[in-house]
Amino acid sequence: MSTLSVQDHGVAHHEEGHEHHHDTFLTKYVFSQDHKMIAKQFLITGITMAVIAMLLSILFRIQLAYPDKAFPLLETLLGRFAPEGRLDPEFYLSLVTIHGTIMVFFVLTAGLSGTFSNLLIPLQVGARDMASPFINMLSYWFFLTACIIMLSSFFIQKGPAGPGWTIYPPLSALPTAMKGSGLGMTLWLVSMVCFVASSLMGGINYVTTVLNMRTKGMDLWKMPLTIWAFFLTAILGVLSFPVLVAGVVLLIFDRSFGTSFYLSDIVVNGQVMPFEGGSPILFQHLFWFLGHPEVYIVIMPAMGISSEVMSVNSRKPIFGYHAMVYSLIGITVLSFIVWGHHMFITGMNPFLGGVFMITTLIIAVPSAVKTFNWLATLWRGNIRFTPAMLFAIGMVSFFISGGLTGIFLGNAALDINLHDTYFVVAHFHLVMGSAAIFGMLAGVYHWFPKMFGRMMDEKLGYLHFWLTFIGAYLVFFPMHFMGLDGVPRRYYAFTEFASMQRWLSVNMFITWAAIMSACAQVAFLYNFIHSIFWGKEATQNPWQANTLEWTAPVERIHGNWPGELPTVYRWPYDYSKPGAEEDFISQITPLSETMSSNLPHDFEDNPAGLEALNTWTNTQKANEEVK
Amino acid sequence: MAQTQQEDRLNLGAKKFIMWIFIFTSFMLFAALTSGFIVYSGGSGHGLNITLPSSFRYSTIVLVLSSITLFLAARAAKRLDYDKQQRFLWVTISLGVAFLILQVYGWYTLSYKMHIYLVDPNATRSFVYVMTFLHLLHIIGGIIWLISALSGSIKRIPQVKNLYRMEMTSIFWHFLDIIWIYLYVFLLLNQ
Amino acid sequence: MAFKQIIHSKKVLAFLAVFMLLGTNMLMAQTTATADAAKPGVDWLGVGYYVLLFFLLAISVAVIGKILKVYDLSQQIQGKKGIHWNNIMGVICLVFLVVGMAGAYWDITVQGSMSLPEAASKHGVKIDDMFLTTTIITMIVFVITQILLFVFLFKYRHSDKRRAYFLPHNNTIEKVWTIIPAIVLTVLVIFGFFTWQEVENSTDVKGQPASINIDITGHQFAWELRYAGPDGVLGKKDFRLTAGANKLGIDYKDKNSMDDLQADTLVLPVNKTIRLNIFAQDVIHSVYMPHFRVQQNAVPGLPTFFKFTPTITTEEMRRKVEDPKFEYLLYCNKICGSSHYNMQKVVRVVTEGEYNQWIAKQKPYLTPALRTELKLASADQNKSITNNRLALNN
Ligand code: HEA
Ligand code: HEA
Ligand code: CUA
Ligand SMILES: [Cu+2]
Repeated sequence: MSTLSVQDHGVAHHEEGHEHHHDTFLTKYVFSQDHKMIAKQFLITGITMAVIAMLLSILFRIQLAYPDKAFPLLETLLGRFAPEGRLDPEFYLSLVTIHGTIMVFFVLTAGLSGTFSNLLIPLQVGARDMASPFINMLSYWFFLTACIIMLSSFFIQKGPAGPGWTIYPPLSALPTAMKGSGLGMTLWLVSMVCFVASSLMGGINYVTTVLNMRTKGMDLWKMPLTIWAFFLTAILGVLSFPVLVAGVVLLIFDRSFGTSFYLSDIVVNGQVMPFEGGSPILFQHLFWFLGHPEVYIVIMPAMGISSEVMSVNSRKPIFGYHAMVYSLIGITVLSFIVWGHHMFITGMNPFLGGVFMITTLIIAVPSAVKTFNWLATLWRGNIRFTPAMLFAIGMVSFFISGGLTGIFLGNAALDINLHDTYFVVAHFHLVMGSAAIFGMLAGVYHWFPKMFGRMMDEKLGYLHFWLTFIGAYLVFFPMHFMGLDGVPRRYYAFTEFASMQRWLSVNMFITWAAIMSACAQVAFLYNFIHSIFWGKEATQNPWQANTLEWTAPVERIHGNWPGELPTVYRWPYDYSKPGAEEDFISQITPLSETMSSNLPHDFEDNPAGLEALNTWTNTQKANEEVK
Repeated sequence: MAQTQQEDRLNLGAKKFIMWIFIFTSFMLFAALTSGFIVYSGGSGHGLNITLPSSFRYSTIVLVLSSITLFLAARAAKRLDYDKQQRFLWVTISLGVAFLILQVYGWYTLSYKMHIYLVDPNATRSFVYVMTFLHLLHIIGGIIWLISALSGSIKRIPQVKNLYRMEMTSIFWHFLDIIWIYLYVFLLLNQ
Repeated sequence: MAFKQIIHSKKVLAFLAVFMLLGTNMLMAQTTATADAAKPGVDWLGVGYYVLLFFLLAISVAVIGKILKVYDLSQQIQGKKGIHWNNIMGVICLVFLVVGMAGAYWDITVQGSMSLPEAASKHGVKIDDMFLTTTIITMIVFVITQILLFVFLFKYRHSDKRRAYFLPHNNTIEKVWTIIPAIVLTVLVIFGFFTWQEVENSTDVKGQPASINIDITGHQFAWELRYAGPDGVLGKKDFRLTAGANKLGIDYKDKNSMDDLQADTLVLPVNKTIRLNIFAQDVIHSVYMPHFRVQQNAVPGLPTFFKFTPTITTEEMRRKVEDPKFEYLLYCNKICGSSHYNMQKVVRVVTEGEYNQWIAKQKPYLTPALRTELKLASADQNKSITNNRLALNN
């Protein structure tokens, strides 16, 4: 029974004597190397970070809505950061920075990929664990370290990093330029280095596992779209994060050793600085070479999850599976050549700007394919509204809305006036703060039974969905118009401009909508925590889905399947096949068992099978004639 | 058969793959630095305008030699000649350390002899330091791999694992070699 | 059972109502009280009120949930089907579509009309055309796709009697919906590309008068302006010369610098090409003049510029927007520190005559104070930079 035994746990880490597992609390819950437990660790850390970042957003939203009002409570809570109950302008920027950083990197990169790649890659390709469980564990621990370092910056004298999540130097490189560029910035950089290490370890593992450890019969074209999405996401990460490291290393040199990679011609407070010859634009190139792929790192897993959830719950194969994969590949490739669209007005060569504009708009084509295929998947389906399904649908709705505003921004000429206004804020919250978050929530609701062996409450899920869905539209839709009026982002208050004061009422409205959405998350958190302990027990395949993870037993065992690994015979989307008894056929059901529902299409590169199908239909026909 | 089964169980194939992808990421790091260099020197009109210290030339030779000795060690390991394997590994490690020293000496010549410091208004020169520094960090990692391969061989760990360690080490070390040549040639071309 | 629950919840509701009433009263009292109380103390009552309100809300949600569950169960016991959640959700989807579309329309008309007035520059008009085209195209896509999405949800909601239609793919239709967006986007790309090229076109047209050069320098947290003097040329700058009164680091070895002017307001003659030369001293700032559709980053060490032609004077614009106090503004649009949100400059577009009058009144940068500081005799032009530096260091 060598197949039963658990895989080895490490590269250079005592290789022998690991066959027997005495799971202590520490090895089971803390230093676990089991991908399912690591997934849960990522998820819970991710949710914690999401809640923190959400609270930060409410804090600064209050400032935007009531710029002239003092809230003594804030002083009690925040002390020197909110003297006399009003946020300090620099602390406002720190809040925005940390909100953005946490949401993008910690929630949607680690929380989303970390959770679902870890959980689903081995389970859906039929592997016992990741290629290297040890590196996988390290990946989580680096992530946690990064989180702790990032949060610890709230407890230092000058407060956390403040130059925006894009940390453009010279602002981030000159500790004298603002409070948030001091120690807080250093901690930010250290945290980010840990985070990148974690992401790389994770990504390397995902790619390797998908390419090397698929079970028998699971060829690339039988993989569920989730796996495709995670796989391509991991590739994006592996290729782009090192570039961020390069950028960050140079920034660290500038900050700490006095080099001039990014700095030149600087006079702070009348004091001439010795830096010469550097180029601030260089950092922007390095940052956005990661930064842009990063936004697709954030959305692609959400797309994969939504595809899977929508197919399962409309009881219909995903429409255009191949096109879905090719469009993912298209997005992956294109995302490396569009980064310049964040830099249209930095003084980059206008011709280059034109080129970036072309590539940027081209990326809408694969996105269009995806959108229409989702719509076609719903068409004539038999749609079950589970909470997961609702969130997947919300993801599609937000992606369309947010993607379309991207078309404005991608147009260099329009971006002149829209850059760094609330229009951009609206754009990326719709695609990222809403669509990607909804993809993640869809995943949580859908795979909760797999992770915890229990079901989440549906009704609370409905409540959570509708409040958040409506709330997010209410928050982010009006922001477009502020942007069109030239209201800049990262402004502490709009009181200094007579022309912006009329947006105050809108700002108040947005804040209250945000507070409502934030309260709705309580429904989720209650549901989540309550269901972990007291939820209804889950059956093995609660959604009647085809993919492999639902063939594994409910008890989560190390190694995933008792006995042999399952063999795969068909693609994952045989839902509602005409002629089949049930409206789903698991991937492990051989075609020979479902003669009545087989289609010639199922035997595309299998002439013997086609032969068998033909003889079978012929005899079937003959029988009927006899009757 | 028994061997492949064990290899399967230990998942060594997949782990080798991990090394390859790691190499990709490292490569991207250096590619980012070199493209940063190009963007910078193109945008600011600054060139390197120095002759690289000769110790970089010697260190290149040393590193290439170490690749050869590592190859010999790996071959010896495959032929079950552990003594020879260990001997060559020792040589490789010492060549690696020699490389380290030569690089540091290179910095010394750059700064004390040629007065080209890390802090320079012409950041292309700072790039030289940063690139060699990051490469050296990798070299230190490579030396740790070499040591683990050596200690494995001394402890007579099972042959599968011995070979596996040798192979991982080789992939990494040869990669470091190639990266250094890439960097060196890149810098030479931009001299 | 269910009955009991309802009574229970009615009690809760009544309680809630009373609480709300009292609470608002209390809150009102609070606001009047805090108005004259200068010393801020935490208003725990107010905070507690909101917290309690939220708790009550949560409890009522829990109660409603319980009722629903009990109802569902009792129906099941009677052999009936219980609540058809799929139907309810389907209907809500439809309602959301209708209300959402109406809301979006309302938002676009009401808040959309609050956005910027017509472009006050030549190239801005082109940008606005481009914007209109993009808006129309994306609106059409938006409306169609959202309607399809939610209508499908309603129409194909779950029913036990039906089976979904097995449709794995259809190459024709997939090709159609790859090619159509591709064509639409090609149109947008071509249109956009040419607009962009025109906007960014920086060469002066031959035969026409050269554009007016104005230097604008951003620093934490203000903008400095420099107009050329009578000679029409701006002198050189070097950041190393920045000190004391010479806050822009103007190089007075360059004769052209001597007559350069400083100004508080960015005054521009209408219908003349302006070339803004953009500099930054400490961190990146961004020159943003939304009414002219102008934005360009100010990057330390990397001078940039933007060329544009204002077409509407401030006076005209005041009449157009029916606001006698309207001013064009220039503000900073790149995060730059604590006062990023208040780094503005008034821009005034005037007729050429007014402009000439105005510029005649502006003072040169080379104030007498600066002159003594630099130890510049008016004729002494031979100082080397090192001398200059020495002078600065004393
Ligand atoms: C999940 C994250 C995500 C995603 C998916 C996207 C998707 C896109 N983004 Fe966005 N973007 C961000 C996250 C994201 N973005 C963030 C975080 C920022 C700001 C960073 C910062 O500065 O802080 C940003 C900023 C940003 C800018 C810079 C703005 C500025 O600073 O001035 C631009 C400019 O081109 C842009 C463009 C686009 C485009 C063209 C897409 C496209 O991929 C969208 C494609 C989708 C569709 C078009 C919709 C569906 C298609 C159809 C229904 C078909 C029919 C359509 C047509 C025929 C038009 N984005
Ligand atoms: C995932 C990304 C994400 C998310 C979810 C959000 C959520 C929110 N964001 Fe933010 N935001 C960013 C990413 C995100 N944001 C980034 C990158 C920036 C730029 C930073 C910078 O300028 O440097 C930014 C900046 C930003 C600004 C601009 C500030 C400024 O420029 O001055 C504002 C202003 O209102 C804002 C508001 C909000 C609000 C009200 C919410 C929400 O609170 C809205 C209401 C809540 C929801 C819609 C529910 C979300 C659900 C969860 C968080 C729980 C998730 C649970 C699981 C994932 C399982 N955000
Ligand atoms: Cu200056 Cu923002
Ligand atoms: Cu982008």
